[in-house]
Amino acid sequence: MSELLLDARKVEKRFGGIRALRAVDVHQSPGETLGMIGPNGSGKTTFVNVVTGHLAIDAGSIHFAGGPIAGRAPHNITRAGLTRTYQAVRVFGRLTVRENLRTAALSAGDDSLETAEHGRELIRWLNLEQRLGAVAAGLTLFEQRRLELAMRLLLRPKLVMLDEPVGGLSAVEIGRMMALLAELKSRYSLFVIEHTMRVIRELADRVVVLVSGEKIADGRPDDILRDDRVIRHYLGGQRA
Amino acid sequence: MTSADSRRSRMLWLGGAALAVAVPLAVAGNRFAAFIVGIVFVHILWTAGMNLLYGYTGLVSMMTAGIAGIGAYVTTNLVMSHGWSFWLAMPVSAVGAAAVGVILGLPALRLRGFYFVLSSLVIQSAVTLVFVYFPQFTNGDTGITQIPHPRLWLPGEGAVELKGAAFEILLGLLAFAGVGIVHLIVRSRMGAFIMAIREDDLLAEELGIDVTRYKVLVFFIGSLLMGVGGAFYASYVGFISPRSFDVLVSLNIWLMVAFGGRGTILGPIIGCIILVPIPFVLQDLYMLKDIFYGLLIIVVTVAMPAGVYGTFLQRRRAREQAAVAALETSRRAAERIAAQ
Repeated sequence: MSELLLDARKVEKRFGGIRALRAVDVHQSPGETLGMIGPNGSGKTTFVNVVTGHLAIDAGSIHFAGGPIAGRAPHNITRAGLTRTYQAVRVFGRLTVRENLRTAALSAGDDSLETAEHGRELIRWLNLEQRLGAVAAGLTLFEQRRLELAMRLLLRPKLVMLDEPVGGLSAVEIGRMMALLAELKSRYSLFVIEHTMRVIRELADRVVVLVSGEKIADGRPDDILRDDRVIRHYLGGQRA
Repeated sequence: MTSADSRRSRMLWLGGAALAVAVPLAVAGNRFAAFIVGIVFVHILWTAGMNLLYGYTGLVSMMTAGIAGIGAYVTTNLVMSHGWSFWLAMPVSAVGAAAVGVILGLPALRLRGFYFVLSSLVIQSAVTLVFVYFPQFTNGDTGITQIPHPRLWLPGEGAVELKGAAFEILLGLLAFAGVGIVHLIVRSRMGAFIMAIREDDLLAEELGIDVTRYKVLVFFIGSLLMGVGGAFYASYVGFISPRSFDVLVSLNIWLMVAFGGRGTILGPIIGCIILVPIPFVLQDLYMLKDIFYGLLIIVVTVAMPAGVYGTFLQRRRAREQAAVAALETSRRAAERIAAQ
């Protein structure tokens, strides 16, 4: 257990009579990029929500970097090194890009954005230099996704959970985001929820498949995409 | 912050401190005007606390007058019934009011938006009822009269009653200090965090900010300013009753912040300077007073939803953004031409 970065065992989550997660086991090693796929409503985002502390689990256990995190407040889980992005991009819309980044830098313990160890490098890498004075709500979706990512990376996370990182982007933007994510993969442990199979195939070292809150497969992307159950339940009878 | 900004900020603060002293001296000959100035200063202190809660943290608390009332009643009781010095009673009751403010603010940790406003309204009404139904401490609806002014010990003079322009100067410096405290908080790490909470507390939590801790802290500091203001109000006016701290007063404090510009340092001060004197100045036209007050608020909230100063800042920011965008467009055009 101690070698695992994320170790979720027999995790259960119910919403009234609906079992959103059914004894789900997910583990991830440091440096690994884990993909999670499944139809809409299969429990992927719920899984991220329980891991990051936004929802309480009904049964099971979750360990991160060797310590239990189930039941801890989201800010404590973030401080432990686990951060996430959202399906519908989430930034402080009325604040400027600089103010958004400054908040994250200060939260990480830096004195300011400018003195943040890798703040300037991140801003350059994510091409936000020219947009620092702009109000976040006025950015394009692709710029907002980059800002969202920069804010999380300023926290110096051990694991970044990305919920549909290319959702809503154009084909050209998906290509650019893929290049960023590929570089990100070399520096961080990633957990990626995505419907775009190209992203999963190119990024993930291993893939977990959820259907109706149940894990039905876990393995290498190529094997998973050939798995009959995955094809029947998720890929709709067509091989990817 | 550039050195020019820092110089301008220093000048503004020096100017503010000078005004806090100069205005009471300028109107010292007219007690009616001087009294209004004193009341404006107390309201600036109250709105500083409200601005921290509502303007910067997004907590629309409608129980601020109740908290100020606790500061006022506890101080008055300690001074008049137990013989405490005002200078000891005031901080003790202000800290007490702040502690009560934290406890009464606990619903804010669970409730958001409209639901918190509603709960704070209920709490304010309950606090007002406590002021009415515990006459042994508050003298009920009749209120407490002849509250003594604080006394200052001066070398050679002994204990001297604080009154007239000297009291107004003290209130001015107090208001200045209250606004200064809020300004320092806003510029600090805590300021960045509470503004993040105001914008999206879920995202703030996600970024590792302890939302509960900062909300409690904001309630404590905001309530402390209210409590100090309440203690000085009681001793300045010399009379308090449950109506001095009822829900309408809470609403007015909120209104002054919204009217001037929530989440700005100068906005609430402008709100106080414009709105506080209206009931005094128009007291002979009592039929028109409320109509004028209401119309002014409607016109400003419709024409300037971010308040007088807030709208000014928004427009200036929009102009700056447009200028930057125009500059960027011309830079790109120049690059294109150079490339051809």
